[in-house]
Amino acid sequence: MPATFKENIFSTIIIEMRNDLELDAIIEDYLLGKLTPQETEAFEQLRTKDATVDHKVVSHKVFLHKMEQYAEQLHLREQMDKIHSELDVDALAATLKPHPSKIVQLWRKHKSAIAVAASFIVLSLVSIYSIQHNSQQAEKVIQLSYQVNNAIKTQNTLIRDIRKTANSSLPNKAANQGRYGGTGFAISTNGYILTNLHVINGADSLYVQNSKGESFKVKAVYTDSQYDMAILKISDRNFSNLSSLPYTIKRNSSSIGENVYTLGYPKDDAVLGEGYVSSKNGFVGDTTQYQVAISVNPGNSGGPLLDNNGNLVGVISGKPDQTEGAAFAIKSKYILEAMRAIPQDSLGQKLVSNKKSLLSGLKRTKQIEKLQDYVFMIKVY
Amino acid sequence: MNNSLKSSVPTDREVILGILNNSEDTLNKLYKAYFAMVLQFILNNNGDEDDAKDVYQEAIIILYNKIKEGNFELSSKLKTYIYSVCRRIWLKKLTQNSRKAGNITDYEDVLVVEDDVEHHEERDLQFVKMQHALEHLGEPCKTIIQDFYIHNLSMQDICEKFGYTNTDNAKTQKYKCLQRLKKIFFQP
Repeated sequence: MPATFKENIFSTIIIEMRNDLELDAIIEDYLLGKLTPQETEAFEQLRTKDATVDHKVVSHKVFLHKMEQYAEQLHLREQMDKIHSELDVDALAATLKPHPSKIVQLWRKHKSAIAVAASFIVLSLVSIYSIQHNSQQAEKVIQLSYQVNNAIKTQNTLIRDIRKTANSSLPNKAANQGRYGGTGFAISTNGYILTNLHVINGADSLYVQNSKGESFKVKAVYTDSQYDMAILKISDRNFSNLSSLPYTIKRNSSSIGENVYTLGYPKDDAVLGEGYVSSKNGFVGDTTQYQVAISVNPGNSGGPLLDNNGNLVGVISGKPDQTEGAAFAIKSKYILEAMRAIPQDSLGQKLVSNKKSLLSGLKRTKQIEKLQDYVFMIKVY
Repeated sequence: MNNSLKSSVPTDREVILGILNNSEDTLNKLYKAYFAMVLQFILNNNGDEDDAKDVYQEAIIILYNKIKEGNFELSSKLKTYIYSVCRRIWLKKLTQNSRKAGNITDYEDVLVVEDDVEHHEERDLQFVKMQHALEHLGEPCKTIIQDFYIHNLSMQDICEKFGYTNTDNAKTQKYKCLQRLKKIFFQP
């Protein structure tokens, strides 16, 4: 573009502003730096003088910038389209599109989350397992003891059941032999004998046999199913009254650790069992009983439990099968309660009035010698 | 499936430097590196292959502009950035078309890129406006302008291409076209 032409334009524009086209051309050359230094100077003067020209310059600058951006973006898009055409989009889409299987879809979706969740689950399982493993032992003890309780319960009743059935079937089995069903002891000199109810339950006829081998017919005069006690009365002419009872009935309860012994008839001869009170309560916390560490056998039921001073502490009534060497004994105060049911006159000499038992201070052998005449084998037919 | 693609995944630094240097090779590598990821996202979220292409290219443009403007800080992986931008764009499209956008199935971590996307939308508006203006310009103005400003042809080339007797004539024609284009473009 000839310089004279531009100069002409400058002069004319200032006055007339008529040729927009040529102004645009100059502005563009100015913006692109194509003008000579003199022309630039002249034009900048024009810009400062004329606001319209300045405005045009600015707007053209903006426009050129926009055009540049547009060109850039268009170019980028073209490039990308070219690259895109190189891709095998269909093949990619085939592998990436939603899988028909929901599970695969879920898996793809939550791959990382599932991994995290899985490791968390494993971790928590491990910790739960270890926690449980630690606490399991304590728990098992509880469960075990509970089971034992159950076992005792069933076993205990089982024993009774067996006895019952055994007793009821006795007439058929050993009609003339006579069979001991348990033990009993005298609670009066005139022939009242106390034993367990389960010993005589369902009996047709009852006999007692003393240590000398003499048998006497008895009949039940009182039964107490609540405390499993029965009182028998010797109704035999051959029976002569006993001399005064060597033992007394203890009113208050015994302490744990008190030495006790019992005499019973688990077989044809009297058997001594010794032990100590091991618990204030009996079977499954039964407060009417003691638990006694004493070895007893079937047949000991109804036997007297005495302390070293010859006080009657209780009546042997049963034992837990699962626990070795333990037995239960009904507390003596329930013996007193049972005796109250019998007319006091008929009992004769009162057991409890004896301040001191005759057995007190004697050696065990002497005590047994005195005691054995008052302990009877109960024979049930 | 994309072992060949993965092997050519450029490092994030490589990409940024390449974009700043207008490297076509970098664009090529970048484009191929992450298209599958976006395709998977779109296909699993109610879109098709063309949607994926549009969204992905838009995201690349956003990345390009951001890098060129010099305010791109590599605070996360480029992959995550591209994914987040695509996700944002696609979510917007879904809601615009009132297509179901309730449960978006995600495959990558997501960054907050709302500002970037909005910034791009403004720019894109200008782009569309320019495109629109050029369409309205009509021939031969459109081609002259495009040849000169976009394809960077010289006035000499344009003069020959359109058969003008001299370049001054061609220039005059170009300025006439430019004036009209500006008029259309700056029209409110």
